[in-house]
Amino acid sequence: MGHTARQMDQLDYAALNPVPSPMPVDEPIGPLPRLQRLRADLLAAPYELCTQKAELMTDYLQRVWPRRPLLDRLARWHYRAYASTLLAMDRSADQGAADPRGAKTALALTASSWLMRLYCRSWRLEPQRQMRLMAEALRHVLGHMELRAYDHELIVGNCSSRRMGAPIHPDFAGMLMLGDLADLSTRSVNPLATTPAQVKDLQERIFPFWFNRSVMAHAPGWIGDQRLLLEMKEGRSFALSQIAGISHVTPDHGKVLRLGFAGIAAEIEARRRSLLDEIDRGRPSRGQREQLAMLDASAISAQAACDYGRRWRQHLLELAAGESDAQRRAELSELADILAVVPEHPARTLHQALQSIILVHAMLHQENFQHGMSFGRLDQLLLPYYRDDLAAGRLTPARAVELLGCFLGKAAELLPLLFSRVTEYVSGLSSASGITLGGVLADGTDASNELSSLFLLAYDQMRLRQPNIHVRVHSGSDPGFLDLCARTVGRGGGMPAFFSDEAVVPALMRDGIDPTRARDYSIVGCAEWGVPGCSFPAAGAGTVNLAHCLELALRGGMLNGEAVGPATPPLPQLRTVDDLLQAFRLQLRAVLERAATANGAIERVHALLRPTPLLSTVIEGCVARARDVTAGGADINTSGLQGIGLADVVDSVVAVEALVFSGELEPERLLAALDDDFAGESELAERLRWRLPKYGEDDPRSGEMAAAVARIYIEEVGRLPHPRGGRYVAGFWGMTTHQGMGSRTGALPSGRRAGRPLGNGISPQIGSESRGPTAALNSAARVPTPGNGMVMNLKLNPALANGSGGAAAVLGLVRGYFAQGGAQVQFNVIDSQTLRAAQADPASYRDLVVRISGYSAYFCDLTRAMQDELIDRTMHG
Amino acid sequence: MAEESPRVEGLVFDVQRFSLHDGPGIRTTVFFKGCSLRCRWCQNPESLRPVPELMFSSSRCLPDCRLCESVCPRDALAPWSTTPIDWDRCDHCGQCPAVCPSGALRMVGRYYSPEELAELCLADRSYFVSSGGGVTLSGGEPVLQSPFLQALLPLLKQQGVHILLQTAGHYARRMLEPLLPFLDAVYFDLKAGNDAGYRQWTGGDAAHVLDNLAWLAGQAANLTVRMPIVPGMNSDRSTLAAVAQQLRTVGFGEITLLPYHALWEAKLAGLCTAQAPLNLAAEPDRDEIMGTLQAHGIASTWG
Repeated sequence: MGHTARQMDQLDYAALNPVPSPMPVDEPIGPLPRLQRLRADLLAAPYELCTQKAELMTDYLQRVWPRRPLLDRLARWHYRAYASTLLAMDRSADQGAADPRGAKTALALTASSWLMRLYCRSWRLEPQRQMRLMAEALRHVLGHMELRAYDHELIVGNCSSRRMGAPIHPDFAGMLMLGDLADLSTRSVNPLATTPAQVKDLQERIFPFWFNRSVMAHAPGWIGDQRLLLEMKEGRSFALSQIAGISHVTPDHGKVLRLGFAGIAAEIEARRRSLLDEIDRGRPSRGQREQLAMLDASAISAQAACDYGRRWRQHLLELAAGESDAQRRAELSELADILAVVPEHPARTLHQALQSIILVHAMLHQENFQHGMSFGRLDQLLLPYYRDDLAAGRLTPARAVELLGCFLGKAAELLPLLFSRVTEYVSGLSSASGITLGGVLADGTDASNELSSLFLLAYDQMRLRQPNIHVRVHSGSDPGFLDLCARTVGRGGGMPAFFSDEAVVPALMRDGIDPTRARDYSIVGCAEWGVPGCSFPAAGAGTVNLAHCLELALRGGMLNGEAVGPATPPLPQLRTVDDLLQAFRLQLRAVLERAATANGAIERVHALLRPTPLLSTVIEGCVARARDVTAGGADINTSGLQGIGLADVVDSVVAVEALVFSGELEPERLLAALDDDFAGESELAERLRWRLPKYGEDDPRSGEMAAAVARIYIEEVGRLPHPRGGRYVAGFWGMTTHQGMGSRTGALPSGRRAGRPLGNGISPQIGSESRGPTAALNSAARVPTPGNGMVMNLKLNPALANGSGGAAAVLGLVRGYFAQGGAQVQFNVIDSQTLRAAQADPASYRDLVVRISGYSAYFCDLTRAMQDELIDRTMHG
Repeated sequence: MAEESPRVEGLVFDVQRFSLHDGPGIRTTVFFKGCSLRCRWCQNPESLRPVPELMFSSSRCLPDCRLCESVCPRDALAPWSTTPIDWDRCDHCGQCPAVCPSGALRMVGRYYSPEELAELCLADRSYFVSSGGGVTLSGGEPVLQSPFLQALLPLLKQQGVHILLQTAGHYARRMLEPLLPFLDAVYFDLKAGNDAGYRQWTGGDAAHVLDNLAWLAGQAANLTVRMPIVPGMNSDRSTLAAVAQQLRTVGFGEITLLPYHALWEAKLAGLCTAQAPLNLAAEPDRDEIMGTLQAHGIASTWG
């Protein structure tokens, strides 16, 4: 079965030292006033649209991007026609109605896509030119963007021109915001403040310029197939994210800390010279010309990064000169001194190192999309600086917490920019930068250290929605550190999330990664494991609706009378679970192939049109290969495809087996009931939903099916050809995609009604956790560990999770789950608000068990008055 | 119980996994059905009768379904009326839960073979190991099913599971004796002090209980004595003094006091039991109760 950690005897938990090691500080670190003020400021800051990068990049490229006067004029006219058609389509989609001018719109769109192809052809994209253009544009943005140092900050570096800013990227797919732009500040989901000038500039200058130059403009031409484009837009069978930009990657911050960008520039220059030697009096080949262009672009980027640090230094000196408060003046001067060193030169102190990382983070976001740009194993990277500072008497643990808190605050300022329809799939406004703590060293021994704990203490002071804090756990993890993790979780907020080295490291090695690198994994974004600094994992590339594939398998590929998938035998012709799973596999394969075709086209457009030279300087392998990260320059290349709705497929297969394959229920009747969303069949729906074993209840058959379905998905994803010469890797997670896809998925044999959310990650469906967290975890432990992460979400009552008893329970769950092969778990500690929601909507919360000393009851079975009493009790604690 | 029947089955009304308040660590608590006491404040009224019985949750009942009405052979059901179940007619035959699509009607109590129940308990063994937890036998009165426990407990012990018994001690000692070698800990619940009080509140015989308590104390078992404090019933000074006196007699110096919660009363509406809601007054003065016990030489903590 290949999952080595399944037998718990292999993990000797009993041998662990039960005595928590001492905390890194003797005295508890009380609330630090600076962090409290920073936190208050961040929480009070309005959410705003940032158009700075868009404006500056357009300013520059308008001057230098080669013109085609005739085509440009055609494109401007085309843009206006396109914009009005798109707005009309969005309006009708919002009203849930078919476009009244359907045929005409379709014709217009077809014409539009032909025009797009014309632009693309006419340019004959030359990567070497694009690389230089993009590097120069980045240099222009870094040289002119507004530098903003905020009150109380000890670490500076703004990613956007707003305190809480959502940068728009017209070079990628910023134009998708066209429909939302007019009412962005008043839309119902995640409104963002805008100024009329911003909107006008986007509509009249920026979008028209990028209309035929963006990834979004060129990708359809490369995808080609109109049906596939429609399918992409629909977001029912799969959804792809990379059109929004390059993201979900962990740059090599360690390299910048070691070498500085000056050192990186020297490396680039050395590589350039060796390449010139190779070319050797002959004319360079086309490939070599591209390599030279890549190195030139990298050199421009590295130099721009050095200049950017100097700009900051100058700015801070000016701020210090104008500062009346003596203490703040000193702080600003100290920061100026720090910026005289980093990011150009190697960092020497913790403060310098943290400042360098934030500046790199800020610079990368002038090039790339803000989604899952992660930090890696900061407790490992930063430990030498911390220890040196401590030894030299430059730093106290409390000051370190203050610096780390400032760092966490900086990492919380970005908002993803999403058009309203996508918000269904990824709501919550997290740009999902991950920090990873703990785990093992290259030799397999425990890596957690005093800095790991200080990060948690700093998080506890900040408690912002991001960055995501991830903790790697293994059988030899320091008990004191784990206890601190569990206490932090018990205080709510859902962080940190826990990852099992015993499950993840072997999973990475199965994908061909060597043990040393596998042991160095960190979490990209939410839950995706990858090797930091040397991979381009594109971990959030896409999501695939597993429940939709099952719908197709039940109906032989037909949906609403239309052949959507390949012709497989429909349910009445299926006899066994294996038949059904085979049909599911074939439907899934077809969806995956289309998703990979479209994703491959998007990735190629990135490489040809919108390479990312700055990112390429901080991903190991790109300079050595003289190949951009988008073109496969990284040492490790993967793209993540996440399966959505695992629990729904498992429950459905189990239900079909129990009722249809047993002969108890005619397949036609089931299909008719599903088609009608159980209209007139509510008893059947109830029976399917509540009277059959479910994934999450530790039912053996559901466990087998979970393993089988997940394995099919992992295998089928692994078969797909990869555009950067790497591999597609499977994940089971998806922000809120389970809701977006659920709303586009019909009723299922699991008893789930049409349009309801699908299961989240590898979590059981809502209502299937009635046997408690251990049963849910046992079910989840049956899912084999895929290459690209998975999410197991557990709700815990705060009364259970608080305090030392709660911490022990949380850790007991984590370790018990990991001992059975589980890979990831995160906790939601429920508060009285949830109980109130349960009161208002009992159907969705019927598995909410309240436990009070000696007995238990379903919350929803309690009388109203007793529920109120319980809510009050929870509030008081 | 029949002597040496080839298949001994246990009657269980709930198996609660991830139980954190019934002993150390993460535990699976098995609630055995059937009890020899009838405490007026019993928080698990569905645990009393030693047979499976029907229970109804009106909040789950589907409007316009009424499948149950059509199958009831005794015409005892009217789910959408003020008296959903006519308990005088119902004989708990189990036909209506079999057709109820939503689980509003369900049978409380099912029979397990020792192997089946052991397997269910061992499903969480990994969490017992990771948290120092185990299995708690609760009820009802688990010891009443001693022959079944004699078959079950060795299966758990073989796997190194920590076993804790919660008991009220109201049974013949020969039922308890064979279990003792398997028990890692015992929570012994005293309900009241003197004979009259014990009989008044629980319908049981205090002498019997105290005899068993004294024997357990003499066996050097890992013993914790507990007492639910029900305001206005067993919280008065004379009851507490009598409890203290008895503890001293058996050489015990401490007791864990359990606060009383009224939330269980919600269950009554769906059960055939004749138990009535208590509608109790305010919380007792915890310090005063502890003080009274202290004055009689017994240290106490609230659990």
